[in-house]
Amino acid sequence: MNTEALKDLLYKMADDQLILGHRNSEWTGFGPLLEEDIAFSSMAQDKVGQSWQIYKLLNELGESDPDTVAFMRNAEQFHNCQLVELPNGEYDFSLIRHFLFDTAEMIRFNHLATSSYAPLALLAKKIKGEIKYHTMHANIWVKQLGSATEESIIRLQTSLDSAMPYALGIFESSKFEKELISEGIFRGEETVKSEWLTQVKSILEHTKLTMPNIETITPVFGGRYGKHTAHLQPLLDEMSEVFKEDPTADW
Amino acid sequence: MYGGGNVFETMKATALADEDPILLAAFEARIDRGEKIEPTDWMPQLYRKQLIRMIEQHAHSEIIGSLPEGTWITRAPGFKRKLALMAKVQDEVGHAQLLYSAAETLGKPREEMITDLINGKSKYSNIFNYPAFTWADSCFISWLVDAGAIVNQIANSKGSYGPYCRALERICAEESFHLKYGHHCVIHLATGTKTQREMMQAAVNRWWAPMMHFFGPSDKISVHSEILMKWKVKMASNDECRQQFLDMYVPKIWELGLTVPDENLKKNTVTGEWEFTEPDWEEFKRVINGDGPCNAERIAVRRTAEERGRWVREALLAPKAKYVAPLA
Amino acid sequence: MILKSLDPRVTRLSIELSPDESSVAKDGLDQFETYEAFVQSKEGKPFEHAGPVHAPNEEMAFLFAKEQYSRRGMFCNAICVIKTENIKVSEYTDNGQDIYNLVTDHPSGNENESFEIFHLMKRGKQHKHEGSVLAKDFDDAMAMAKKEFQSDKPVFNVWIVKSAHIMASEDEDKDIWDTLKEKQYREATDYKAADKIKAFKENQA
Ligand SMILES: [Fe+2]
Ligand SMILES: [Fe+2]
Repeated sequence: MNTEALKDLLYKMADDQLILGHRNSEWTGFGPLLEEDIAFSSMAQDKVGQSWQIYKLLNELGESDPDTVAFMRNAEQFHNCQLVELPNGEYDFSLIRHFLFDTAEMIRFNHLATSSYAPLALLAKKIKGEIKYHTMHANIWVKQLGSATEESIIRLQTSLDSAMPYALGIFESSKFEKELISEGIFRGEETVKSEWLTQVKSILEHTKLTMPNIETITPVFGGRYGKHTAHLQPLLDEMSEVFKEDPTADW
Repeated sequence: MYGGGNVFETMKATALADEDPILLAAFEARIDRGEKIEPTDWMPQLYRKQLIRMIEQHAHSEIIGSLPEGTWITRAPGFKRKLALMAKVQDEVGHAQLLYSAAETLGKPREEMITDLINGKSKYSNIFNYPAFTWADSCFISWLVDAGAIVNQIANSKGSYGPYCRALERICAEESFHLKYGHHCVIHLATGTKTQREMMQAAVNRWWAPMMHFFGPSDKISVHSEILMKWKVKMASNDECRQQFLDMYVPKIWELGLTVPDENLKKNTVTGEWEFTEPDWEEFKRVINGDGPCNAERIAVRRTAEERGRWVREALLAPKAKYVAPLA
Repeated sequence: MILKSLDPRVTRLSIELSPDESSVAKDGLDQFETYEAFVQSKEGKPFEHAGPVHAPNEEMAFLFAKEQYSRRGMFCNAICVIKTENIKVSEYTDNGQDIYNLVTDHPSGNENESFEIFHLMKRGKQHKHEGSVLAKDFDDAMAMAKKEFQSDKPVFNVWIVKSAHIMASEDEDKDIWDTLKEKQYREATDYKAADKIKAFKENQA
């Protein structure tokens, strides 16, 4: 098995989940409704929990332990797409990002359930239920707010338009697409992307939102290769503030 | 979590004069038999009013209480702490939801309670008006503030109002995770490196006074209410709760080599009571009336959450939606 | 003045702190409907009342109930939500009085509609699903319930709801409660540190 290719895949997925889970946890206590505050927090926990499991797989492949990997790297060592590091904005943006990202996540893990790398296939099966709830949640919210009041429709549309170039960045191809596909580890970003487009459109059809014209959008790439917005490093500094006071200590 | 020291209204001796004596007798007999009161039962006005006040304050304490610990939610060190703190703070928001629901069964809609909170018309536990300066502060809260809350909540869960008891049963089950998690964090700091120990000791020093205030003024100076005890609204006196807390947790603090910043704190071996320096009740009053280090911030954050969520709620509100209070 | 907080999340909210904030008056505009949520802890066990959620509609109520009442997934097999106003509540009895003894009507025999029956077996406890009956209307359903479900154990309160008014989780969605065993971080049992205390004390001695 091509370990380099595998690690690259695992890193980008884990980094996506960790950073988005972290961002979403910022909402805890500030949500638009008590019940939604609780639901959104659960999904943030799921994301961080999933990233932890993937870092454990990396650890088994010889990488450092999950805490060190997550809390000690700098921005340029992270492989997450830029979508997940953007600030939360208002609820409309957080919700649209959750919808766009988790739709891709569901498709990705559906594929990974049949990965030739057994530990990943097993993990994909274990988290299927969590991800199902996330997309259920995202779809219901987008359908409802996307066809409710003028304000909610405009807000969601604006967020959708601004998130879309970054969302396309989820599918930035890696150096190893060919190897991953030929070894049956992962079916590749292009496959996920085309299914994603169909799925996103099919949900938006139930709303008054318009799918931005993908042809005219330049995707924001770079995240997979360590190129990030100015938002990531401060996020990491904040996340590791206590941990770095003494990385060898038992907290 | 939750603070004791509920602010009950002083009651007029005449408050019961207008109640139907037959209904009142049946109501009291039901409580004497140990049966719970359910929402549609007849109940004295005073019982309803004091319960709404108490449960509402409790609910506010949970939602405001999520803020001091929330201060560290993005900075928890390591995966395990990060996930646990997220889950813990989430639980506190969940507790608020449960308690608002219990209060709603008595006739006050949730939005009205939240409006009263952000307009400064309601009280909540004083301790959450203090800042969490370091990670160790959040650990102190998770362990000891929650421990104090549990003393209160377990007492209240034996009260007479069904919906409140049901909510507290659920809450207490989750509190056992909070308590263990908090203790685990404090143990790690107290038995850890020099920096960690110092950080923890400083947190104990900062939080001890608010912790002593937590259970409310001494019985000697607080409003006594035999009728609320008789109706099983108030289940234990402030001093009883404080004594129970000290008895259960001071030894656990000491065993970690931490000190408590009160040189008079000791257990009187003759009376079995804990003795301590009388807390500064003037400070307590000042803070509860709005002049604490974080009162303004706590309310401003809740108000902002409420205002920025308004478009979401307005968008989803069905034009013919009819609010009905929860059933139980 | 922008609020500067010890909580970086709060600072990022850019809250304007003005000294003369006027009260927020609410006309009750954003008060949602309420739904009662019921949880089934295990396959075959009865659904039990868990508590209410505020939600704008049934679908959302379901999303919310799932996380508020079953986020510790291992204790849940299924949930259902019912709009509060669709639940018909009987009188409450006490002191060993069975509510069914107050029912004098006989079942009409008209089996037009299906109703679900929930019992309260002890004041202060949760209502539990008892079963369903076919009847003409709510009163008739109560009479049917008496015929079907009255036993020597007193029932203190009955909730009746049309079966059509229940939204339950789908069988195929059961996996939304499958959680990673690593979610133990939510459980008290996951925090053991007696060894650390012991080692610390030995070190001190
Ligand atoms: Fe709590
Ligand atoms: Fe708690």
